[in-house]
Amino acid sequence: MARYGMALDYKNCINCKACEVACKEENGVELGAEKHRIWVGSNNPTGIWPNLDITSATFVPSQCQHCEDAPCQEVCPTQATYYDENHVVRVDSDKCILCSYCMNACPYDARYVDDRTMTIDKCTFCSDTRLARGETTTACQNTCPTKVRTFGDLDDYDSEISQLLRTREHFSLKAHLGTNPKLFYLT
Amino acid sequence: MIAKAKEFITTIPVNKVSIKDLLSFEKSPRNMLVAVLTVAFIALFVIGVANYLIHSHHAYNVTRQHPWGLLIAVYIFFVVSSTGLCIIGSLGDVFGFKDYELISKRAIFGSIVTILAGFAVIAFEIGHPVTMLIYNVLSPGLTSAIWWMGTLYGIYLTFMIVEFIFLLKGDMKSAKRFGLIGLLVGLAAHSNLGSVFGFLNARPISNGVFYPTYFILTAFITGIYLAYIMMGFRYKLDFSAEVKKMLEGLAKIQGLLISILIFFVAWKMLTDVYGGMPNRAEVAVHIFHSWTFWAEVILAMIIPLFIILRDMGKSPILFFWASLSGMVGVFFMRYNLVHDTQLKPLQMMKIEEYQLPPEWVHYFPSMTEIMISLGGLGLCIAMYYVGTKLFNLDSDH
Repeated sequence: MARYGMALDYKNCINCKACEVACKEENGVELGAEKHRIWVGSNNPTGIWPNLDITSATFVPSQCQHCEDAPCQEVCPTQATYYDENHVVRVDSDKCILCSYCMNACPYDARYVDDRTMTIDKCTFCSDTRLARGETTTACQNTCPTKVRTFGDLDDYDSEISQLLRTREHFSLKAHLGTNPKLFYLT
Repeated sequence: MIAKAKEFITTIPVNKVSIKDLLSFEKSPRNMLVAVLTVAFIALFVIGVANYLIHSHHAYNVTRQHPWGLLIAVYIFFVVSSTGLCIIGSLGDVFGFKDYELISKRAIFGSIVTILAGFAVIAFEIGHPVTMLIYNVLSPGLTSAIWWMGTLYGIYLTFMIVEFIFLLKGDMKSAKRFGLIGLLVGLAAHSNLGSVFGFLNARPISNGVFYPTYFILTAFITGIYLAYIMMGFRYKLDFSAEVKKMLEGLAKIQGLLISILIFFVAWKMLTDVYGGMPNRAEVAVHIFHSWTFWAEVILAMIIPLFIILRDMGKSPILFFWASLSGMVGVFFMRYNLVHDTQLKPLQMMKIEEYQLPPEWVHYFPSMTEIMISLGGLGLCIAMYYVGTKLFNLDSDH
């Protein structure tokens, strides 16, 4: 029993996409699929040439935010989307009816149709793969060359993520929606 | 108990109808046009469904950014029609307005066929309809508006069928009882359908109390348009004094309802724009620039209201044509509701170099979606026609 979350030191991201490749390999994501499970978004620099604000040109890794109050879970008519014992938002593909309500309800565009199972899938924090094998890191974290990602138990006071969140300022995406994401962007 | 149920079913007054009877109708140009269109639409439905079964959702133009397409809009169109007809049917047999008893049986039957047409369409939009039937019961998502909407509509359909049987049997007391419960369940279901959109806090343009209430209002309006269309076809636009009186009353109510709707829509759009709230104001401005929004306003609101206000609803023939315009407008209303909700992408960053950040989500239905949608209309007309042959849908007195 844990309450898993992830901290992202997103300003360290170099957009090498190693996390996307590792996720695809580890979780059997469809090859060539775009924005399945995780992706890296990029902001264009603001300002007018030559006065560009280069600090605004950031890469922002994103994925399912594993919200504490996940809209996708609330709207699911058959409880196919559920919280597992580690507070990870998961999908029971046997129960998914492909009504697409979760795709419309998720503010982070984190849900997508897996064409092989014809169900709506998402990031699971490697719960079916690495965590099930007893490992303590996700594929995306493990492969990141600049250590953008820190995954761990938010309820464990001594975990690396808990220490990071105590010592570094951070924000959540679309926090005003009250979804209480468990992905934290370090500033 | 079984014997009683058997007796209840066997005593339902049903006309014996052969294929020959179904094909024997007045071969007027208008009837022939409707018959040919109906058969063509059903043929398109078969082709559309076959294409869907082969290619699954790839046969549709729905995308990750726009997962709900034309079929959802058409489903809403049919269930709104059903709720509207239920309200119209209830005026006479539930609330006891004598003038409207004329249309009760026909409207309740209409509410059954329209919701069945809606179910026929949505069955090919939901990816796993059989799984839905199983897990709706085994693991109900009680916080889901879709669960409540679907479940309540199922109960509503049952009550409508039972009410219709009692109406056929002339048991007005039981019809009233089932009609009242059916109406309340139907309104709850319909309001929940509005909340499917209203609950989307990721979509500020739809989020809020507006849709759950607006759906009830527009259902009533749709019901009156359909009442006019059904009565127009029934009496070939040659209305008796009794029917005229009823239609005049309905037109007056419609004038009031459309006026309220115009207030609703005007203030919704203005409050959406006012203050420039991100993700809402720019979407509303975008909607103002779409022709489908103006098609909705002109066809469903302006034209019918203008015709009512000309002589306070005293021209039922003219309002029959306005009702056809109104129903086309109501279709755009449903399409706009679904499309506008999804106009703004939820993820606004570019994910590849040399790519522009996402702007508006574009959608135009595929041929398969259009074929299944027209097929829904064909099924609805065909079921209604068979019903007019099988049952006496006119008032008994």
